[in-house]
Amino acid sequence: MADSGAMSGAALPDAPRRAVNGRVLKDSVVRMSPGRLVSNPVMFIVELCFFLVAAMAVYPRGFVPVATPSETPFYVEVAVTLLVTVWFSTLADALAEQQAESTARSLRRLETSVLSKKVVTKEWSRETVPTPSKDLRKGDLVLLENGDVVPLDAEVLEGIAMVDESLMTGESTPVRKAPGDALIGGARVVSDTLTARVTANPGETYIDQMIRMVESSKRPKTPNEQAVTIVLIGLTAIFTIIILSLLGLSITLGLGGDLSVLIALYVCLLPTTIGALLPAIGLSGVSRLYGRRIVAKSGRAIETAGDTDVILLDKTGTITVGNRQAVEFIPFEGHTESEVGEAAFLSSWYDDTPEGRSVIRLAHEKGFLPRELNSLAPSEVYEFSASTRTSGIKLGRGFGFILPKGDKSGKDRGRLRRKAAMSSEEEEAASEYEILKGAPDSIRKLSGNVPPGFDKTVESISAAGETPMAIAKNGEPIGIIRLKDVLKPGIEEKVQAVKMMGIRPVMITGDQPLTAKSIASEVGISEYVPMAKPEDKFRIVQAEQAQTHVAAMIGDGTNDAPALALADVGLAMNSGTEAAKEAANMVDLESNPAKIIEVVLLGKQLLMTRGAVTAFSIANDVAKYFAIMPVIFAAAYPQLSAFNILGLGLHSAVLSALIFNAVIIPLLIPLSMRGVKFRPASTMSLFLRNTMIYGVGGVVVPFVGIKAIDVLISVI
Amino acid sequence: MITLLQFISVAAILGVTIVIAWLLAPYVTGVFTGKSSPLDRLFGPLERAVYRILGVDPQRGMGWKEYFFAGLFVNVAQMALAAVILTFQGSLPLNPMGFKGLSWDLTFNTVISFATNTNLQHYAGEATLSYLSQMTAIQFLQFTSAATGICMGVAFVRGFVAGSKDLGNFYVDFTRSITRILIPFCLVAAVILVFLGVPQTISGYRAVTTVEGAAQSILVGPVASLVAIMQLGTNGGGYYGANSAYPFMNPNPQSNILEIALMLLLPTVLVFVFGQMLGKKKETIPILVGAYALFGIDLAIAFIPAAPQGAGIETRIGGFYSVFWTVVTTAVTTGSVNTTLSAMHPLVILSAFMGMLIQSTPGGKGVGLMYMVMYVVITLFVVGLMSGRTPEYLGMKITGRDVKLVMIAFLVHPLIILIPTVVAYAGGFAQAVGVGTNSVGFTQVLYEFTSAAANNGSDFLGTAANTPFFNVATAVVIFLGRYVPIGVLLALSGSMLGRKRNPEAGLKTDGLLFSAVLVGSILILVVLTFLPFLAIGPILAYLQGHVNFFG
Repeated sequence: MADSGAMSGAALPDAPRRAVNGRVLKDSVVRMSPGRLVSNPVMFIVELCFFLVAAMAVYPRGFVPVATPSETPFYVEVAVTLLVTVWFSTLADALAEQQAESTARSLRRLETSVLSKKVVTKEWSRETVPTPSKDLRKGDLVLLENGDVVPLDAEVLEGIAMVDESLMTGESTPVRKAPGDALIGGARVVSDTLTARVTANPGETYIDQMIRMVESSKRPKTPNEQAVTIVLIGLTAIFTIIILSLLGLSITLGLGGDLSVLIALYVCLLPTTIGALLPAIGLSGVSRLYGRRIVAKSGRAIETAGDTDVILLDKTGTITVGNRQAVEFIPFEGHTESEVGEAAFLSSWYDDTPEGRSVIRLAHEKGFLPRELNSLAPSEVYEFSASTRTSGIKLGRGFGFILPKGDKSGKDRGRLRRKAAMSSEEEEAASEYEILKGAPDSIRKLSGNVPPGFDKTVESISAAGETPMAIAKNGEPIGIIRLKDVLKPGIEEKVQAVKMMGIRPVMITGDQPLTAKSIASEVGISEYVPMAKPEDKFRIVQAEQAQTHVAAMIGDGTNDAPALALADVGLAMNSGTEAAKEAANMVDLESNPAKIIEVVLLGKQLLMTRGAVTAFSIANDVAKYFAIMPVIFAAAYPQLSAFNILGLGLHSAVLSALIFNAVIIPLLIPLSMRGVKFRPASTMSLFLRNTMIYGVGGVVVPFVGIKAIDVLISVI
Repeated sequence: MITLLQFISVAAILGVTIVIAWLLAPYVTGVFTGKSSPLDRLFGPLERAVYRILGVDPQRGMGWKEYFFAGLFVNVAQMALAAVILTFQGSLPLNPMGFKGLSWDLTFNTVISFATNTNLQHYAGEATLSYLSQMTAIQFLQFTSAATGICMGVAFVRGFVAGSKDLGNFYVDFTRSITRILIPFCLVAAVILVFLGVPQTISGYRAVTTVEGAAQSILVGPVASLVAIMQLGTNGGGYYGANSAYPFMNPNPQSNILEIALMLLLPTVLVFVFGQMLGKKKETIPILVGAYALFGIDLAIAFIPAAPQGAGIETRIGGFYSVFWTVVTTAVTTGSVNTTLSAMHPLVILSAFMGMLIQSTPGGKGVGLMYMVMYVVITLFVVGLMSGRTPEYLGMKITGRDVKLVMIAFLVHPLIILIPTVVAYAGGFAQAVGVGTNSVGFTQVLYEFTSAAANNGSDFLGTAANTPFFNVATAVVIFLGRYVPIGVLLALSGSMLGRKRNPEAGLKTDGLLFSAVLVGSILILVVLTFLPFLAIGPILAYLQGHVNFFG
């Protein structure tokens, strides 16, 4: 498994536990009752066989000619082994169930039952009524004050506040929430006040969906699980015919076969290993996904993830850290770097975008602290507008810059302003002036004429796939800020892994083609869609599916929702809107878009584990045949001992095979719960590797195992 | 063990047969894809006349149900017709030897046996059937049953072809496989056989006086044409009770080799047709490699003991070629024999069992291919998951329903072989015809039902099994063994029509790696199912030191 950024953080729900404790033991015994077991046809048959052999042990005379009274101790041994086989299987179930329950429990903790302040409008005035969260309904308004817990998933209508979502996401820093943002049920408001509209009824949140899914009794079998079950039933039918025929022949041909030996052969041939572990494998897939803080709404979605052959990767957040970061100030002739840097600094003072912040950081790192910060005041701030594609600031006389309100960056800037004040020694009589920054062509249009080198600089930056941003002072372009995309650490390896598994990564970005191409080729992606709007994702998914590809994508905005719903695997960010989370079939609580790749790997791992245990289980039968065959008709035809290539004793051959058949179940429980280990590789090499380990190994291992048990038995 | 020369001759015969099959395959593919050919001028008017008489619209495609039931209807109608002829042959013309009509149970057995391409014979033809019966009930059914097999196989493939809308029209396929494949191929084969000394006449048995003065009846008849279709159509029903051990059916080593090649020809052609119709010639690789690798294993087992000599072996042909023939005839479910099976070493019989239990090495024409695809689907499903994707075949996801269908198809075989075998002993029917309860006797009974279930037709019991129990039991087994898997697998193919196809990012099936896994998985499946029974049959006989089954 590729390294997957394991969960961290103290506030996270408990990690799934696997230890066998008293409760699990008790549960596993309760599950052995025939009524409970009937849902697992293979193990149910094993239990029936136990009752039959137990009856032989109690009253062997009733089973003559297929039983011998003197063999009673052997019947007891066989019966006990059969019972233990059943118990091992219920133990696997109980363990998986415990893991799932602890997941469900930790999920339920997210749904805090609190008394909320429901807002009701009464005769022109608003009042709040204390209401338990279970009585809230979709559309209700709630008032959330400092310290309040968000009762259910909701959407902010009024106010800006910091909200602590650490319980859900593991992110310890409180998040700023403004109107339109989504609130997760269970989060806590840690500053200011919000009014929010409830967006889900109690019991309908995606957390509830997840809880329902991990509770295995309510979990519908996935299509693949159903198909595997059919194979198991088919094999069971075949082996039933075989054993009944052998029994019939044994009597009519006078072969003197013993019923208990035939039953032992039957149980050994039955796909007990996969039959016992199948439910645990499916359940643990869900739990493993949750271990990575991803909530899947159906088991089917996880399997589909394994089939993905196209991943749509949003450039921002998945491939690159966030937005672009300023890396260089390039002055035009007649200007200095510090002049450009200071101008860029001033123009970005109120620009709270990641780019703006990175400009300030770069200027600070380089020591370009404009003295105007204390001598002048912004008389006008030009917000970025799509029509002019610039933003800027107009400076006039005043008492210095005020700090932007609210968040963390405000504090940083306060620190910077003090620093600037210390470094400015004298008050300079500065006059009013205006700084604009923006797309080079917009600046060129506003300025009329541009200095020599303008085009050359812009072109060379664009050609490198980076973004130039021009700075103009009083209408005169003075320099360029070079902005660069910063790749997420490890993204190249992840893209490489995806490609190795035969999956096509497609990068989606709003960037210009040149920029897009540069980033894509930097991480090794050959397909990209530049200048894409969120709505385009729907079109892209549609086009991929029309070519019968299985597409996975991530999304967070409301305009991503149609595409998320259409995609075969849609992973929504928990920080995204309710519509997006509703439409997607998985939600990442940590809101890390790069996790889409892990989802695909986990899906593959789940299918591989199921396949490996199935193949192993069937391949095991060959050795068991060789162990038991010589014994069945040993009385009539001692020549059949030619099959006894392991040199086993008569009784111990049967017991060894049966015991191996039983103990292999608990031995494979960790593999089933943890999943088959794999390194990303092509489909064919994964297949070859697993076929060698679990297919060929499945033929060889039981020969060794049965012989070892035989030796042990003979020692005892 | 075999000598180097023998090894080379076996390899050469198989190699030449595969090459000829490869050369003929494009023609056969053309017949079923409606490709225009110079032969249209010859066959076109005849075929159109047939369609007009039958009232068939040759353009109308059929779904799997309609196709299957059309085939079943035609087959059952032919059974009924043949039953009338066999029952009343005593009163019908072309009966110079004055044979009486057959008993009801023998008739029941014989018509089902021949209409299903099985040709299990509980009678000796030369002493039981009139010329009319031989030419209509026997020879005609050999053409139609072979054609039915080809049609079902071709229709099955159509379901997997991208862009197919239906499985084709049964009546059209049926007509064309007779006019354009079986008749021309048989004509060529029959002419060569006549040159090799096989008689072709309808002038009655010749009474001659031997040099020693004894009177002898020379049992001739329209033999060459029958031999051609019985081998090419993997039928196996002989003109004479002794089948291809009789000099007029298989006069010399040359005819023996030719007939071996004829048996293998059409099943191998269809393996190539599979890839060609799919438009993915490489998909033939696993089918071909799977079939011939398993066939090679069968041959290796059969050639372990020294070639039999003496009783039951035709000296014209020799022990070695008798063994080779026996493996081939069971591998393609023909069932014609050139020796008595009782003369064979237990390991040869074990190898024969393998051929009949696997049924696709390369199996009967059409159905062998269907079975191999069935194994491919089971294998893909079980091991394909290990590649980390939902298993796909030809880009199509294998669903729970597909798995259910292939499991049913696979389950039919153990059911219809094992249950009647147990009943034959439990009811005393086997003991009644003189079959023992030891390994030799058990092998014979198990072989009878395995041969019936696999629609092979070779058997140990021969006319001894002409009892109501064996006649009816084997007839029922034959019927189920023929139509249930065909119906179920056609349903599988029908459900592939128009199914969403992913670009083939999954497990690649068109290479040697998958072929090897396929071979392993088929061996495991068949061994898991039948090993205990083979163990108390031929394997036990071998371990007990038997070198043949006369005892």
